[in-house]
Amino acid sequence: MADFKIKLAIIGVGRMGITHYSIINSHPYVKITSVADTSSLILNLMKKYLNGIHTYDDYNKLLDQEVLDAIIICTPPSLHYQVAIKAAEKGIHVFSEKPFTTDNYKARELAAIFEHKKLVNQVGYVNRFNDIFRTVKNYIEKGVIGNVIRFKSEMYSRTITKTEEGKTWRDSRENGGGAVFEVASHAIDLVNFLIGKPDKVTGTSLTSIYSKNVEDAVNSTFLYKNGISGTLNVNWSDESFRKPTNKIEVFGSQGKILADQHGIKIYMKNNSSENNLREGWNTIYITDIFKPVPFYVRGNEFTAQLYHFAECIKNNTIKNNCTFRDATNTLDVIDAIFNDFELNGKF
Amino acid sequence: MQPIDKIIFGDNQFFGINHMSQEKAQQLAEQFFDIAAIFRVYQMAFDSGIRAIMLNSNDRASEICSHFVANKSKYPDLNWYPSIPYPHKYANLISEKGIIPTINEILFKDNSAFGILGMITKGGAAVLGKDAVKLMQMLVDVEMKMFKGLNVKVVFLQNIITDLLLGYGVGDIFGEYCDYIRKKYNAMPGLITQNMPYLMQKLHEWNIDKVVICSSFNKIGYLMSPDTDSYIFEARKNDPLKYQIMAMSTLASGAIPAKEAYEFINQQNIQSVVFGASSKKHIEETVSLIKIK
Repeated sequence: MADFKIKLAIIGVGRMGITHYSIINSHPYVKITSVADTSSLILNLMKKYLNGIHTYDDYNKLLDQEVLDAIIICTPPSLHYQVAIKAAEKGIHVFSEKPFTTDNYKARELAAIFEHKKLVNQVGYVNRFNDIFRTVKNYIEKGVIGNVIRFKSEMYSRTITKTEEGKTWRDSRENGGGAVFEVASHAIDLVNFLIGKPDKVTGTSLTSIYSKNVEDAVNSTFLYKNGISGTLNVNWSDESFRKPTNKIEVFGSQGKILADQHGIKIYMKNNSSENNLREGWNTIYITDIFKPVPFYVRGNEFTAQLYHFAECIKNNTIKNNCTFRDATNTLDVIDAIFNDFELNGKF
Repeated sequence: MQPIDKIIFGDNQFFGINHMSQEKAQQLAEQFFDIAAIFRVYQMAFDSGIRAIMLNSNDRASEICSHFVANKSKYPDLNWYPSIPYPHKYANLISEKGIIPTINEILFKDNSAFGILGMITKGGAAVLGKDAVKLMQMLVDVEMKMFKGLNVKVVFLQNIITDLLLGYGVGDIFGEYCDYIRKKYNAMPGLITQNMPYLMQKLHEWNIDKVVICSSFNKIGYLMSPDTDSYIFEARKNDPLKYQIMAMSTLASGAIPAKEAYEFINQQNIQSVVFGASSKKHIEETVSLIKIK
């Protein structure tokens, strides 16, 4: 297998495309052959400094002309569907940035197609590759805090802190902008990952702080038929956070977990020697549980997710994580949030 | 290559940065809200013999620089180790506006300072974009403005930029950066990285030397890709006349007790340690524990 190389293209070389390029380019089994973007500046720079890279101003031309095994899609979200569907026709494995698509029906269609064609399909919900949240999931599954009863999923960032002019795709829900698609999707996906998909969404508020056409903050309540309930609280205009931060709190019959990207605090009703947890409060830091990655650009989880994608292509016996199906479930919840707000959130 | 200071005082503690705990980070941000509190800690560092400061070019750093420029006579002779850019400034602007408007805003908001008034009408970054080297030089100048008047010894490129470019494998850009820092700032070029062994291999390959490499270096391998052993090995075979290695995150954000951390560090073939602390006790303790050759 040593000389086998996954031939890969990057569609959309904005902020995430630039990062993904750097990370996946370090993978020994991957060769990036081409990129597509509408910015001539980016394409010129890449052509000039990256030997032999093919550049396209239209992803259609790229997909028609390149022989590829895989693509990474980092266009604005409203374009993800059409790029992915064309890739599927050509038998190309796809990693798509979140929120995958802006329409959960189209998302479901893509998931079915990629599953049927047995193509690797993955979405960039990067928290699923964070060592802390993986540990939290492991604790919950092992029943360390007993049965889950209630939870909170929060996310804060200082993404939009001034009045928007309404010119970029981020200020249009149709194009995949707004705090729900852009930021809350991570907090919602974390709920699906850790607790499961809620059966009902209620009590939604969408608040505009600076943006004219989209929400900057969202609150919502998630209900489950088995009695679990939880809340979502997200604000992308919160300057008190230096970096985007996810926080999760899970209350169970035997204890409580508080976690963010950096650490876990866990309160135990009883000792659990097999999990190395004592009665009362325990603290686990990222430094206690991190798994090193071969190449680091911006957080272990960003490398881990792309290397997982490459590994799944190389070895089809590995279980693909964070799939189109998972992302479709997240979009279903997003859809329910928007519907709930339309029906019940307005006076 | 001129030897760098063995002990350098860092700045994360002042700006609410703690990789291990956001709560701790918030506490620090509150503690140093008043800039006088920062200068008091610097004084403690000077009192324990430290003469070198590493400072990231964030908004508060410019206030710190102005203070040291204005009060030069009150302080001992200091060597400055700026790190550029402040990555979150760019990250937030890029999220908000996109890449090209961000570059335009940063370079041309105050364009008179650069004597390039005509650039905006010519399309700003779009014109410069054809020449990544010129663009890089202009961005370096914007970030370095605040350090004017200080004795700058090394100019570090932040790890997010170093490692991003490293992933692209663009040796030319690294070479140009190093040349520019030497010529324009009469300082040594520095690269901060979380991939020290890989970066050093590539620098050898690209024939770029006389560079200071700053990377996490701790016993548990925190923020060290691919692993601790590769770092130890790479440092051991390094010739300090070609590359000087500066260790950061030596305590792994507090996960390793200081004594244990520096017992490990003192055995490595490295030339310098940068550390941050906010109490007299911790500063003095750390200074006494660092015994690199």
